[in-house]
Amino acid sequence: MTDTQPRNSQPSMIGIGEYRVGSFPMTTIGLGSCIGLTLYDPNLRLGAMVHIMLPESGGRADRPGKYADTAVPLLIKELIVLGCKNRSIIAKIVGGACMFEYFGTSLNIGERNAGKVRILLKEHHIQLGAEDVGGKVGRSVTFLPADGGRVLVRRADGTSNSLL
Amino acid sequence: MELSTVQKDAIQELGNIGAAHAATTLSQMLGSTIEMSVPAIHVVDLAQLGDYMGEESAAMVAFELQGDIPHGGYVLFYITRESAVRMTNTMLGMTKLDRPLSEMDESALIEVGNIMVSAFLDATAELLGFIMLPSPPALTIDMAHAAMQSLIAQMQEETNEVLLFSTELACQEFKIDSDIIMMPERSTLIKIIELLENMVKTS
Repeated sequence: MTDTQPRNSQPSMIGIGEYRVGSFPMTTIGLGSCIGLTLYDPNLRLGAMVHIMLPESGGRADRPGKYADTAVPLLIKELIVLGCKNRSIIAKIVGGACMFEYFGTSLNIGERNAGKVRILLKEHHIQLGAEDVGGKVGRSVTFLPADGGRVLVRRADGTSNSLL
Repeated sequence: MELSTVQKDAIQELGNIGAAHAATTLSQMLGSTIEMSVPAIHVVDLAQLGDYMGEESAAMVAFELQGDIPHGGYVLFYITRESAVRMTNTMLGMTKLDRPLSEMDESALIEVGNIMVSAFLDATAELLGFIMLPSPPALTIDMAHAAMQSLIAQMQEETNEVLLFSTELACQEFKIDSDIIMMPERSTLIKIIELLENMVKTS
């Protein structure tokens, strides 16, 4: 799923379980318990982004972007193929919220997703640059590899911030 | 997950009956006429969920389907934030539109969701002869996609696509637009189709 750069300047939309690798703008909307993970190599000004839904694949291989345990190694591999080095890659994590308190008490998928991604990044010696996770809030993310790997987070109330 | 035309028609008819009951209760609560759309059925790939649910701010009251199938999926009462303010204004005798939603608004939304979803499930369950009960309600007022995505993530049966079955309920007088959305687990859907097909055969 390594894309060539889209011709227009509209960010490439990444749906649940999808990922992209490149230097073009990428975006994903409405993260609840899902995770938007970005990896960025400042030396090559290249990045990758994935919309992860669940922590464990349980052996399923049809949609590697959907699960933390398959998505993280895959993104790193894709970047290494393009010449990136593990030690120069910077990761940012967004999402992992608990949108419904009542259902969330028994089964906080958002928290488990974020925890799993952190462990995997550590295992692969990837530096975690910043994160905006948890709480009870939906988030949309735009990733701009060509602009220093900037990660912009928007919320439903109209507020936004940049993850440095 | 491919549905035949006959199966779609049967589910639509089921939705009509459920939504008609929900519309009646909403009509009573608002003291106004409610128009109801033909139920829409979409089989949605997870990656394309954004085509159906966006970044818009909405109030969603979610219920897990319980009863004859313990974790049967979810039913939601969905209403855009603007419509939610107009609805609680109508119910609570207020007029200001540009205001934050208070705890009183939240209680009112949960109550409306509860009454409508219960009416919807009562009617469909009676028709099917199959018990579907709503769990206690859970409310979120945030990005629609974020809420929907979170429910899909906690579905019991691992899936790459979901069936969204929605009926629009609108009130022109107060400019209120809402939806009842059902998202059954695959096994629940198969069970519902089976019951509907048996009904057609025996009638």
